[in-house]
Amino acid sequence: MPADSTHRFDDSSAAQQRFLSLFLRSEREVFRYVAALVPNMTDAEDIVQQTAMALWEKFEAYDPAQPFTPWACRFALNKTRQWIERRQRWQALLDRGLAEELAQRRQELQPDFELRLKRLEVCLRKLPHGQRSLVEGYYYERADVEELAGRSGRTVAATYKMLQRIRQSLQACVERRANPEAV
Amino acid sequence: MTLIFPSSEFDDAVAAVCHGAAGEEQTRALNELLRSDAGARDEYLLRVEVHARLASEPELFPQAADAAAPAGLPDANPGERRKTLHPKTRASRLTRTPARALAYAACLALIAAGVWGWWSRMAASRDGATSAAVAMLARVVDAQWGEGTGSLRVGGALEPGRLRLESGLAQVDFYSGARVVMEGPTELQLVSPTEAVCPAGRLLAEVPEPARGFRLKTGQLDVVDLGTAFGIDASDGRTEVDVFRGKVEFKAGTGAKQSLAEGLAAAVEGNAPPQFMEANPAAFTSMMELQKRSLASEAIRYDEWRVSSARLNQNALLVVHLDLENLNGSDWTVRNASEKNRTVPDATIVGCQRAEGRWPEKQALEFQSVNDRVRLAVPGEFDSLTLLAWVRVKELDRQLNSLFMCDGAEPGTIHWLIRNDGILSLKVRGRDSGSSEIIASPAVLTLDKIGMWTHLAVVIDGKNGKVVHYVNGNPVARRALKLRPPFRLGSAELGNWNPQTGPNPAPSLTRNLSGSLDEFELFSVALSDAEVHKLYTEGKPESDM
Repeated sequence: MPADSTHRFDDSSAAQQRFLSLFLRSEREVFRYVAALVPNMTDAEDIVQQTAMALWEKFEAYDPAQPFTPWACRFALNKTRQWIERRQRWQALLDRGLAEELAQRRQELQPDFELRLKRLEVCLRKLPHGQRSLVEGYYYERADVEELAGRSGRTVAATYKMLQRIRQSLQACVERRANPEAV
Repeated sequence: MTLIFPSSEFDDAVAAVCHGAAGEEQTRALNELLRSDAGARDEYLLRVEVHARLASEPELFPQAADAAAPAGLPDANPGERRKTLHPKTRASRLTRTPARALAYAACLALIAAGVWGWWSRMAASRDGATSAAVAMLARVVDAQWGEGTGSLRVGGALEPGRLRLESGLAQVDFYSGARVVMEGPTELQLVSPTEAVCPAGRLLAEVPEPARGFRLKTGQLDVVDLGTAFGIDASDGRTEVDVFRGKVEFKAGTGAKQSLAEGLAAAVEGNAPPQFMEANPAAFTSMMELQKRSLASEAIRYDEWRVSSARLNQNALLVVHLDLENLNGSDWTVRNASEKNRTVPDATIVGCQRAEGRWPEKQALEFQSVNDRVRLAVPGEFDSLTLLAWVRVKELDRQLNSLFMCDGAEPGTIHWLIRNDGILSLKVRGRDSGSSEIIASPAVLTLDKIGMWTHLAVVIDGKNGKVVHYVNGNPVARRALKLRPPFRLGSAELGNWNPQTGPNPAPSLTRNLSGSLDEFELFSVALSDAEVHKLYTEGKPESDM
């Protein structure tokens, strides 16, 4: 049996374990990197999954002396490019170099984001109950918007609008806290 | 369409992109703006970042981890929210630390489960198969596996790939129903549920009717089984196939297809035409014994289950018992086997394939298409309920995969399902419209349980306000339930959901199960841990090895 067999019966093979532990630590950051380009959650998750597969296939080429996340993000950018090829509206969004520009700028803004978004949890706690459970339903529970709409007696469109407003007020909250003088 | 920044159109476009609802015109306009306006670009990135953090950091929702996500209430004035700290939030702060730790643990498990899901797809993408596992390792005797085969667990799923058995015996059960016993040294490559390759070694294949067409290749022969038992002995350029029951079809090299009847054997060496002779069962004795033993022990288990099942049917608290015995292809009703409680006379099968159950002789229903379902109507109100099912999940390909779901979203009803991350979830609706609770387990339907018969149960104890989820007789989550009884079920479905939203529900409302169901029980009381465990023990496919 060749040593490089791609068939893995043994779930605990050492390479797989090593890959998993690295990937799990980077997964969220890779997701947010992808989401900066394709913000819709399920699409971004799709791309992250495809990225994970590509990373695993090329895992032998990974140099452990280098940090894993930037290596993974390079793959994620490629996978995103391939993914949008078949999806015109996303291609229209990221056309003419905007994907690269967004990825680049996000990296520059990262320290600032970290600082501001540390307050996100406090701000979430301050939301009125109904709003918090809507955010919870959408982001944590991943319930369908149709279902969330049904729960609260809103229309689907009003539910989307409410999510938009809640995000805006969360953003206002984190910014005010980052910068109390500005209020 | 042109966007300017700042504007409410810009706000809407960013939100639409986050929700995946943006059209091409909108994304094109956003692209124009973001490329030309650095301020808009930074604002866009910050908004998307807020959205992405909410989506990727489950520990931001510590209360939700307890899974008692309260329903959304009609909203308060958003302008006032900033000043008032919700009194409940302050009160619950003291109790938060343990909940948070739990939430974090649950979230890690969740992510891990997600990744395990990908592993199977990764393996699948390499092998070109749609589902990763094709067989399971049923039993072994003194098995020594070769280097590279790794450690194999009896009862574990086997993905396409090579098994190298150096010595001893091993039985591999393919998901098509074919069983192959191999005797070391033998190499077996699993290709699909209906195909394997044996480059060298000795094996015995038992192919029941549903697996007819099972194909086995050696270096020299391509054997298609026509519902039989046959042996293969492949070594040093010579391959022999012996038919013990039924008939096979084989092809040597580029030669024509030939059939081989019961009691005959054919041997192929080099390019010479096949030689026919009498089959030689003696050469396969040890493998036949293992197979007989395994069939006998299965028959015994099946009989034991029938006895306990008949006893159970006399229990007055058993409201529904679908044992799925004596199904036939044209029968669209399943009789409720409960003898003492006849409020639910029977259930109706819609679609569904007949499939093999926990034992070769036992029937089950397979749910595959979006239409497949079993409908039943359960009248009355209940203070407590226990639901139990033997299921073999094939794939968790929907976001929510139904086990038992009441139609629509009526007050007092329940939805019992498996999420695509392997979490068991029970949603209970309150009597006030809009109120509901979700009681979720950690990710328990892990990869090793996919494709295996698994016993799932949920106890809804209205009197003591708690819900317990069970997997294979063991509690996996015990949580408080705030909503009070009575609970009602009414019209409900196994393996699917009728959202009652009209003839063509949205794709996101599609919740059909992909897998088989072999038994379902509904009790009008909250069973204890010991009782659930007993039902599991009585029904589990194999006795303790």
